[in-house]
Amino acid sequence: MTKPFSSGRALRFLIALMTVLVAAPAFAAGNPEADELALSPEWKAPNQEEARQRAQEVVPLIEAVVDECQLCRQQRLRDVGLGVKDIVHSYFLLESPIIKKREDHYGPVRFMHTKHAAAIQDCAICHHARPADPSAKETVRCSACHQEAFRTDHPERLGLKAAYHQQCIQCHRDKAKGPVDCAGCHPKNVPDHKELVKLGANPEPWDVTEECLRCHAAAGEDMLATAHWLWKGHSAYTLNQQKKVIHGKGTTAINNF
Amino acid sequence: MKLTRRGFFKITGAAGAAATVSRAYAAKASPAPEDPFGCLVDLTRCIGCRKCEDACNRVNDLPPPARSFEDPTVLNRPRRPDEKAFTVVNRYFPGQRDASNQLVPTFVKIQCMHCQEPACASACIVGALTKKENGAVHYDVTRCIGCRYCMVACPFEIPAYEYHDPITPRVMKCTFCFERISEAGGLPGCAEICPTEAITFGRRKTLLAVAKKRIQDNPARYLQEIYGEKEVGGTSWMYITAVPFEKLGFIDVPDKPTPRLAETIQHSLFAYLWSPIVLYGLLGGIMWASRGNRPHPEDEEGDRR
Repeated sequence: MTKPFSSGRALRFLIALMTVLVAAPAFAAGNPEADELALSPEWKAPNQEEARQRAQEVVPLIEAVVDECQLCRQQRLRDVGLGVKDIVHSYFLLESPIIKKREDHYGPVRFMHTKHAAAIQDCAICHHARPADPSAKETVRCSACHQEAFRTDHPERLGLKAAYHQQCIQCHRDKAKGPVDCAGCHPKNVPDHKELVKLGANPEPWDVTEECLRCHAAAGEDMLATAHWLWKGHSAYTLNQQKKVIHGKGTTAINNF
Repeated sequence: MKLTRRGFFKITGAAGAAATVSRAYAAKASPAPEDPFGCLVDLTRCIGCRKCEDACNRVNDLPPPARSFEDPTVLNRPRRPDEKAFTVVNRYFPGQRDASNQLVPTFVKIQCMHCQEPACASACIVGALTKKENGAVHYDVTRCIGCRYCMVACPFEIPAYEYHDPITPRVMKCTFCFERISEAGGLPGCAEICPTEAITFGRRKTLLAVAKKRIQDNPARYLQEIYGEKEVGGTSWMYITAVPFEKLGFIDVPDKPTPRLAETIQHSLFAYLWSPIVLYGLLGGIMWASRGNRPHPEDEEGDRR
């Protein structure tokens, strides 16, 4: 007896439909280069090389800046008529030799200048001070003021690395948008699992789990101690239940999702 | 001749004079270095990434940790520095909540405070621990005899011991990267790697000025207090915070240097060796005064009981 409507069939139809919709523009373009760009893992931004070269420059340090509050700064930028439209470089790679001179543990961080400016609509948040020299440009790159950390001649001035991290993390937290963890900006070098995973044809779900645990045993051990597995346990972010060991959908809570 | 009343006063008067001299000797200048390096830890900036632990492990060639430095669940329990880790970061939830009613964590890095007048160096009986001019409390393993007095003396309970190593055990604690900061422009591993400059390295006087300026410029962000400015006579590592220190596991220590009392007693007793001289002088005086009271043993006719 067949059901008039099976959810499995509907799902398959939906997936097929979406595949067609997503793939259609690519097929319609019929441009082999575009296909290559879309599918190649080696895809690079067109201005990547230019951004990389710009990251290598070290500009002379600006010794003195105008001491003004943020409101004055915003007003000044409005008076000068500077805004998002005036952006010259829309994309930055953050890998300064100033930081690399000390230590070099991470790859470059990509910073979408225009994207941020369009979202924030306020240059003064990052360009928070102007050089005291009246002939200097109104907005300068971060590394014009923030260079070496712990300089004895400017003990209160942040180094470049700290300026980046404090500015980015604080703003991402305040706006509840953007990464605040390390790997969010510093992508890890994840090895290609195509070579690592050894699965037979048509594996069962538990075969896949077993294959993951072959290398990630600790993750499996951790999982067995979580409230997800036990259906009860500590939940640091559940209001008024932070210390209750017995709380969970297996015991006192309603599964509401 | 008996010990007369006058003779007794002569002796005690001399002892009193010697004690006065020794008190003047004890009130000598503090042994703390004039312009040491230090670190200012800004607890409002620390994001708990534990990169300082990672760097410390790397620059000091410490054994690999039981759990990865990337593993955030390590923060679920409070830890202490030990013989395998010179510094640890602990997480506290002092009770503030953010806009979405989540508890806001405060992270606290612990390591040797490198006191200006270190109790460990005072307690060390062989001079293996010394306060260097650049601020580091330096451990010389070639002098150490393993008595572990330093561990008892330290008010912050920092020095640890390699109990697992029966042949060549060492006392283990943060070195302030002594060799690294002795070079021009050298930084401690943790201060170098800290992504947010939660650790500011510099001269202690400069750091105190920086800390006071930060607190003054941002009174809503900081408490008007610098932990380590006066605690135990001042420490090279200092902390500023938004949360009361007692909620973050900081112990309440007196402003007087820990070794002050013991050293005052000992130095005043043994300055110029006056007290042994007076003691033996006194005993000799008593012997001399009481001579001739007892008959010589050879004159006695053995009346043994």
